Amino acid sequence: MLEARGRDLPDLFSSCILALFSLLVDRRTVRGEEVRAVEGAGETAEEQLFSLLREALLLFAVDKFLARSARVTMEGKRVTLTLAGEPLDPGRHSVAREIKAVTAHCMSVERESGGYLARFVVDV
Amino acid sequence: MRFQEVEIRKLSDTMWEIPRGGGMRVPGLVFASEAMMRDIVHEEAVRQVMNVAHLPGILKHSIGMPDIHWGYGFPIGGVAAMDEREGVVSPGGVGYDINCGVRLLRSDLTADALRPKLRELVAALHREVPSGVGSTGFVRLTEKDEEKVLTQGSRWAASRGFASAQDIACTESGGSLPGADPDAVSAVARKRGRDQLGTLGSGNHFLEIDEVAEVFDDEAARAFGLFPGQAALLIHSGSRGLGYQVCDDYLQTMTDYMRRNAIDLPDRQLACAHIRSPEGERYLSALAAAGNYAFANRQLLAHQARETFLRFLGMGPNDLGMRLVYDCGHNNAKFEEHEVDGRIRRVLVHRKGATRCFPSGNAEIPEQYRHVGQPVLIPGDMGNASYVLAGGPEAMRLSFGSTCHGAGRRMSRTQARSSVRGKSIVQEMERRGVIVACASLKTLAEEIPEAYKDVSEVVGVVHDAGVATRVARLKPLAVVKG
Repeated sequence: MLEARGRDLPDLFSSCILALFSLLVDRRTVRGEEVRAVEGAGETAEEQLFSLLREALLLFAVDKFLARSARVTMEGKRVTLTLAGEPLDPGRHSVAREIKAVTAHCMSVERESGGYLARFVVDV
Repeated sequence: MRFQEVEIRKLSDTMWEIPRGGGMRVPGLVFASEAMMRDIVHEEAVRQVMNVAHLPGILKHSIGMPDIHWGYGFPIGGVAAMDEREGVVSPGGVGYDINCGVRLLRSDLTADALRPKLRELVAALHREVPSGVGSTGFVRLTEKDEEKVLTQGSRWAASRGFASAQDIACTESGGSLPGADPDAVSAVARKRGRDQLGTLGSGNHFLEIDEVAEVFDDEAARAFGLFPGQAALLIHSGSRGLGYQVCDDYLQTMTDYMRRNAIDLPDRQLACAHIRSPEGERYLSALAAAGNYAFANRQLLAHQARETFLRFLGMGPNDLGMRLVYDCGHNNAKFEEHEVDGRIRRVLVHRKGATRCFPSGNAEIPEQYRHVGQPVLIPGDMGNASYVLAGGPEAMRLSFGSTCHGAGRRMSRTQARSSVRGKSIVQEMERRGVIVACASLKTLAEEIPEAYKDVSEVVGVVHDAGVATRVARLKPLAVVKG
């Protein structure tokens, strides 16, 4: 179970995305040389987060792209994730584990004092 | 014994019934000893057995094997058979790693003869057999090649010279599942799998050199080509990123299907569609395709490992005698014929962390094993033991021809990592007489022997229940982990 916090929803979603990449690699070893953007959508904050996490995981699973930093913008039900990072370089990056998928199990987004808290589970 | 508000009924020393209640369509049935059941009732897996019993078209029982533990939606170590017309198919009943499974190769070598060269051999295997995240296979697949892998499975490997007729004959379903349709596999899933064929992966996947430490059933061991003191090779891997993506894609499809058809279930991870719906049929076509990818993947891994043995030991194939005993999947859903309510019916059997174990005489079993039962391969943890079993006489009556698939996790991955903080697992394993080569020390820490239940106890339950009987115990000598 991963937990992440943010002062607002875009900040919360960015924290979740960075938590996902931190499970894969020490992000300090990743250079922010390339920029990639993906879009997600959903009726609820949970669905929006789920869709962004799935898209972010695919960037690694398909293109071997690792993120160093993340920024999220929201417009209605659409969310855009912009990542700065670089493709996996086995000489410099040590990938800790394989993530099979982001699951919908126990996924939650809650308001708390000073911002938001999200919980989600990935299958490794 | 109680699980929360539910009284669980002891049926025998190895079987427990969870009575029907609420929306359950059938009772639950868990295979476990009394001691194991005392632990199992503290796990959410029991609730998951009950949840699965709510699925439309489920027959006889929602079944839990003694290695049962919590999974997404369905428990791992779960079996559910569905009526072909009324029933549903659920990606969560198969799992993300479609047709993940195990294969065993026997050899004419003794473990004693191999021991002095073992460290170098393990290093060679670690070098030659791709493992770990981001690794790529030795075969470059074009899009057309990948389509053939998805439709033909191990038969594609044979067409490229990576599999023998013996390999094909000794793989479950001949290494090629019918009904596979590459068009049912998304472009993303195909891309995810294209450069991963012939890679071990990470997590609990491994390649292990074992010694046949004990033989329990001489006749079956002889049929399987096993003898005491023999060196053997066990491989555990699955359908890699392609399978994960097929599961992920169809969980979304079926979540939408359930919403449209107002199917209400206790857990959204049980997302399902009727077997005879377009969504259900398309998933089954994708499932067969991903299953074929897994068969071809294990075949390529075995080919690479066998070639490494031959080169490293400077032996010819006839002297090494390394041939496939069997390859069986443990994450699948297959149409099979079973007796339900006194008549033979075609049903869809979901096995998630459960192994098919047909008894002697079944036509699905390779001819040379048919008199003793289907070989069943049960990997334990990397420090203690793995088992070779044979399908038992009670399998069809009690469990839709299914048994356990491994030891079953006792600790979560996080708990396992915390428990070893500061210790060298590689050195600890060496003290136990097991050489370890691994791609990730973090993954290795999650796979410590203590993280798993006692595989001998798990196997004891299915043996005593007559579902699958002991043939041989394997002792690990060396492990390559992803």
